[in-house]
Amino acid sequence: MGGKAALIVVVGFSVLLGFVSRNLSLVATRAQGNMSTYTASTISHNLAVMGANVALSRLYQDTTWRGTQTQSLGGTLSGEFTYSVTNMPSGSPVVRSVSLVQAPDEVMQDTVVVLFGSTSYQSFTLFAWMTNIEGNIWWITGDTVWGRVHSNSTLNMTGSPTFMEKVTTTKGLNPTWGTGGNTAVFKEGYETGVATINFPTDLSQIASAATAGGRAYTGDVTVTLNGGTATDNDGYALVYSGGVLVDSIMMNDATFNGVIGSTGKVSISGTLDGRLSIFSTTSLYLTDDILYENRTSGSNDVLGLVAENSILIADNVPNHTDMYIDASIFVRSGSYGAENYSSGTPRGNVYLNGSIVQNKRGAVGTFSGSTVSTGYLKRYHYDLRLSDPLFRPPSYPGFYVTSYPVATWWESLHFPKFN
Amino acid sequence: MQYVIDYLGAAILGAALLLIINAANDAASENNSLYNGDMLVQEMLVNSAYLLEGELRNMGAGVGENKPTILLADTSEIRFVYDIGLDGIVDTVYYAMGLTSELPGTQNELDRPLYRRVNLEQPLSVGAVTVFNLKYLTKLGEVLATPVDAARLTEIHTVEITMEVQNPYAILRSPGMVRAGERNALYSSSLWQQTRLASQNMKR
Repeated sequence: MGGKAALIVVVGFSVLLGFVSRNLSLVATRAQGNMSTYTASTISHNLAVMGANVALSRLYQDTTWRGTQTQSLGGTLSGEFTYSVTNMPSGSPVVRSVSLVQAPDEVMQDTVVVLFGSTSYQSFTLFAWMTNIEGNIWWITGDTVWGRVHSNSTLNMTGSPTFMEKVTTTKGLNPTWGTGGNTAVFKEGYETGVATINFPTDLSQIASAATAGGRAYTGDVTVTLNGGTATDNDGYALVYSGGVLVDSIMMNDATFNGVIGSTGKVSISGTLDGRLSIFSTTSLYLTDDILYENRTSGSNDVLGLVAENSILIADNVPNHTDMYIDASIFVRSGSYGAENYSSGTPRGNVYLNGSIVQNKRGAVGTFSGSTVSTGYLKRYHYDLRLSDPLFRPPSYPGFYVTSYPVATWWESLHFPKFN
Repeated sequence: MQYVIDYLGAAILGAALLLIINAANDAASENNSLYNGDMLVQEMLVNSAYLLEGELRNMGAGVGENKPTILLADTSEIRFVYDIGLDGIVDTVYYAMGLTSELPGTQNELDRPLYRRVNLEQPLSVGAVTVFNLKYLTKLGEVLATPVDAARLTEIHTVEITMEVQNPYAILRSPGMVRAGERNALYSSSLWQQTRLASQNMKR
């Protein structure tokens, strides 16, 4: 009797203690499981972020790439991620990265979505110097450029031309820096192999501005700028056609949008007090000095000269003793240069305060060493006010920057399921 | 006589066995409570941290480049905007710590609800915390005074979060074990800190 009772007591308590022990063991196991789940969840998130970064890297290397790619990883980050680059209806790319991790009790997935900002529109005035084609013209010792320089072709250099701001080129330097006598000084460095900056396919944008709020003429015209009184922004422009005055435009006229254009050759000279762009679907002819009334750094005067084929410094008496140009120059399919630059006697210096952007680099003179033989010596200064993206001549041509700036980085919220 | 000695011996052994079992039961129960409490705290903290960390990482997602992202930044509350569902609609999210009196049902006198509110919906408690502290730093590492001045909200680059969760249920101590200034109960706790949380959308 006593033996049976003792046996029951022992078995009973064994069961009881076993149950308690099992509970303790379960708690310990669950804590361990939670730790594993948390780790897997972190890995899942990290893999999704990693996939997004890989996709971004691929997109920035080749902006035309679209597709899907899966990558598996072993070791500590055991799992896989699938990234894709697709187009949104707007044409802008979207990056999506999804991770896949096998946790102890579930399959975990995290998503990262990256959206990009719209391409930004920049003015060509941001460059002190820019060309599509440099041709066989060389930068030489003594040339100094303040402001950014870019060419969609190769920049030829010999000796030590000095560039005060960053230089970029699509096709590189000839010869490469440090070889073949190229000891150019790049104060802010240089970068080769950058993306081409496309010129506009036509000048329709500024032409539209001339017809809507500006002044649009046909045939050859002459524009004479007058600074008015010493008062700010009271300048005016007189427009002649065939020697006859056909228009007078006040720069402070609220109904005038600041653009004058013509289908023919436009001859220009004088002093500007205000903000103005003059364009021609053929060429511009600079017949005398073109100056801002206020030539200090605090001036608000700004002039854009825009032409389809050429902008030329006229070969005439007023221009034979130095030439002053306060303006930003843009030639879409041709060049800026001096008329008959390779003939006659030296004409002094061209003092340009502004920026020069042209399709093909033109010439203003010929040289024997560093001595001018014919035409002009160059004294070009970048108008530092133009480095402000918001400060530009009215309706001045620009380009789209397709740098794909990240506008939105979105991560899915993931909640691990604990035991 | 022999039977009397047998009965007495059995009674003494039985009583000793009962005492041992009782002590073992107490120890097992206490350990069980401790482990369960630790796990409860762990899960509460991780859930709250996941939600908070995930949302703060998304701050500014889907918001225009020159538009404000953080609307209110204080020591224990923050209001910011982002597109929760990536559906083109920007949502306003608000996190704040409630009062200790709002959790009267728990034994822990320090725990408070952590509220999350989306747009104009009713605030929802997403956890119980004892510490919820936010610190705001600029790109240069300057710690901004709280509440952050409205003019400086756009300067916030990183957020430092400190969060502590304690077990709502106590392990009581005998009065002799409580020293001056100490609480009369033990609460398991867990501290989480994210020292440099910067949303990708704040870096642009």
